[in-house]
Amino acid sequence: MTTDDDTRDDGSTSERHRPSRRRFLAAGGVAATGALAGCTGLFGGGDDGDYGPPDYDAADAAMEAMAISEFQGSGAILEGRPAPGGRSMEDLPNLSGELAIYLGGGEGGLYRDLFDVLEAVYPDFSYTAQPKPSSELAAQIAEEAQTGQLQADVFISIGAGSLGAVVEEGATRPLTAETVEPVPGAFVEPDNNWVGIAGRARAIPYNTDQLDESDLPDSVMDIPNADPLQNAMGWAPTYGAFQDFVTAMRLLEGEDATLQWLEDMQAAGIQSYDNEFLISDAVSTGELDAGFANHYYAMRVLNGSPDRPLDLHFTRGDAGSLVNVSGAALLDRDENAGLADVFVRHLLSAEAQEFFATRTYAYPMLPGVQPVGDLPTIDELETPDIDLTELSNTGPTTDLLTEAGVL
Amino acid sequence: MSVSDRIDAVSRRFKRRSPSDVQTLVLALLAGSVAVAVLTPLLWVLNSARSVPIDRFLEILLRQTTFDILLNTVVLVVAVTALSILIGVPLAVLTAQTDMPFRRLFTVLAALPLVVPSYIGAFAFVSAFGPRGELATVLAPLGIEQIPSIYGLGGSVIVLTLFTYPYVFLTTRASLLSIDGRSVEAARTLNHTRLAAFRRVTLPQLKPGIAAGALLVALYTLSDFGTPAIMQFDVFTRIIYVRTTARQVDIASIFSILLVGLTVVILLAESRIERGGETSAYVNRGTDRPGVVRLGRWRWMATLFPLAIAALALALPPAILLTWLGRSTPELAGAAVDFQWEFAWNSVLVSGLAAGVSVLAALPLAYLSARGEGRLASLPERASYVGYAVPGVIVGFGLLSVALNVTPFLYGSIAVLVFAYVVRFLPQAVGTTRSSILQVDPQLLEAARTLGKPPLAAFRKIVLPLVMPGIVAGAALVFLTSMKELAATLLLRPFGFETLVTYIWQVQEAAVYGQAAVPALVLIGISALSMLVILGRERYDVKE
Repeated sequence: MTTDDDTRDDGSTSERHRPSRRRFLAAGGVAATGALAGCTGLFGGGDDGDYGPPDYDAADAAMEAMAISEFQGSGAILEGRPAPGGRSMEDLPNLSGELAIYLGGGEGGLYRDLFDVLEAVYPDFSYTAQPKPSSELAAQIAEEAQTGQLQADVFISIGAGSLGAVVEEGATRPLTAETVEPVPGAFVEPDNNWVGIAGRARAIPYNTDQLDESDLPDSVMDIPNADPLQNAMGWAPTYGAFQDFVTAMRLLEGEDATLQWLEDMQAAGIQSYDNEFLISDAVSTGELDAGFANHYYAMRVLNGSPDRPLDLHFTRGDAGSLVNVSGAALLDRDENAGLADVFVRHLLSAEAQEFFATRTYAYPMLPGVQPVGDLPTIDELETPDIDLTELSNTGPTTDLLTEAGVL
Repeated sequence: MSVSDRIDAVSRRFKRRSPSDVQTLVLALLAGSVAVAVLTPLLWVLNSARSVPIDRFLEILLRQTTFDILLNTVVLVVAVTALSILIGVPLAVLTAQTDMPFRRLFTVLAALPLVVPSYIGAFAFVSAFGPRGELATVLAPLGIEQIPSIYGLGGSVIVLTLFTYPYVFLTTRASLLSIDGRSVEAARTLNHTRLAAFRRVTLPQLKPGIAAGALLVALYTLSDFGTPAIMQFDVFTRIIYVRTTARQVDIASIFSILLVGLTVVILLAESRIERGGETSAYVNRGTDRPGVVRLGRWRWMATLFPLAIAALALALPPAILLTWLGRSTPELAGAAVDFQWEFAWNSVLVSGLAAGVSVLAALPLAYLSARGEGRLASLPERASYVGYAVPGVIVGFGLLSVALNVTPFLYGSIAVLVFAYVVRFLPQAVGTTRSSILQVDPQLLEAARTLGKPPLAAFRKIVLPLVMPGIVAGAALVFLTSMKELAATLLLRPFGFETLVTYIWQVQEAAVYGQAAVPALVLIGISALSMLVILGRERYDVKE
């Protein structure tokens, strides 16, 4: 039960956010993130902070540019991006009220940057976030839901697995159809209990000095037997996204084949790392020839050190090219029902999606927003046909990983 | 045997003796209830384990990997404990009983590694000695391609030893300072060499102190998650963590029960060493300190040992942290919340509360154990050690469940977090308090009683001033370990409540290592101050 023109019954309409958003602009970029890549010119020429001109159109145009630059990251791989298409934040109802967010671990800090911008845009809106590892949060939410003591309105998770787990526990409420409408069906739970907000593809980062892309098999199942990859790869078995990948393999190929694959990879001398950023970094320095990692870690390495010989290889239609999403679910408690839903709608606006695409190098959920760099678009990737919610079934996966002696 | 049975048994014995033993009964009740409270999170573990079908239980138990992990865990604990004794005892002897120069300085330096969180230590070691680490970078131009791997058992042992040996150092040093010098002199007059006197007179008196420190080292090693995780070494804590967060609480609980079993084995082993005739060995009868050993030509050479340890444990981590300052990737520089001093205050607040509560809870346990009759008297004290060996993530989830179901009004408050710290770290307060109670001659108390003082007043007037140093040291130990605890803090902190460690975790998650440097240094700095409190207590018993 929600209205689509406001988050509180205080009679706000879209008329009201013009002045308030302009106030935000006049403050000259309140948000702490800076990085106004080449867009400051719009404000050049004697803009002395007087925000009273009656020229709404010019102000709106400036605001739009400002907003995009505010949301956009910076760096070599972002040159010449097209403007993002899709539902603009401008056309959404105001946010007002206090929102409590369980923020699943991962790129938590970056998410907060976005929330801070929203706080700056909407003077009546404030949020409190509690960052923790997603899997721990899912377990905690399950415990809280059983005793009816949920502490937050929204759960943002690093992966669909944890979202599926809290849906299973009956801890969630469906999002409105309007909120999830622009997102492709693969990234929306069938009953709208969660929605993807940013995508991540599994990929094989490889060192282009040491390997040629033709050295890399198109099937992830062929990797253990690929000669050039012996004693030259790394993985991060304790990392959630890696476990999701193994879960996907289990669902697609079966338990026995997956166990065999894990054992073969170890026989091929794969090394364990603590996280996938370290793997991508190690590949770029030549410590490793290749590895298993989410695609954006390589982008991150390249944006910091553009000259490193690092590229991404995507396998075809198997677990190795799984696209998982960070997503949001509304937690089933009485407070803030409307606010939480409209908040998620903001995360799916063109501006916010531009933010995810350019700052976290994620795959945007809106068809109108391009992924960064020379990443293939989400429809060019040959992703496996898998229900992401099934990734919540991690138990047998940890069994396999333990049995194989990986964990 | 239930707690009430135990209390009955104890009280029956007391009834046979004297009417004033009602006090002892009250004490036993107090101690018993503290022990039970501390064990509540483990009930959750047992409860979760109940849901596992017996055949699955056996299947998991009899797996090869289970055996490997058990072996890894045991080897790690034994190695770290043995090495800690090899480092801690000589350092204690050097600083307390020789004429090595700068003894005061080295005392502080030898104790300080305890304030470095082991996960930061492990991280620093990987950064320094890992493949592509600082050392490899330095050696590469010299044509050295391969350095021995820091990962695995070796790295875990080195890091855990360097940051936990101070437990042995501190307890051994305390024993050394309270040794009755006259017995050593007596041995010397009986024609013993210095070495023989040390072996036959001093060492037996030191044993309880060494054992108490070794126990803390062994149990800490058992419960530590950060170091083996970073060193990629498979031990129980890592499995428990993975299973718990994969919501396979049943399997996690099986491993937790194994872990508790190991704890009990270690506690039994320790009590066999420590509890042999300690009352006479420990009591300080207005001591003359034993004579200082003159090192002669070796005086300056001796300083190399503490210097080397300090370089590895104290100089390396901050150096690595400082190199991180420049390591933030530019586009992520805004990725984490900026550091606020409020985080430091929050850390101090919850750790301070934990220290206060622990000291109050430790008093009855320690007193009963030190002065009670028979094995049963020390049961509550022994029981309190179990929580210390259980990883923070288990204590965290156990308390989460207990709080939600039993005390929902407390859920999401600081109280639950403070209680978690008490569960984890109470034994440290119990240990120091107990050993200082042991050093109070019970005849003093009896004398006060015969002069007509009521028992509580006698305790307050006579015993408390004498045991205060032990209590203060216990509080400081609980404080600094609570400052470091990550898993339970992350899980149980109230909404919007950040501490130094949760902030460090966040910036590390966002891979903005540069921003971890400041809070980590602040954490080490504040903890170092509490370490000075621990060493400050020696004012009471060092007569130099």
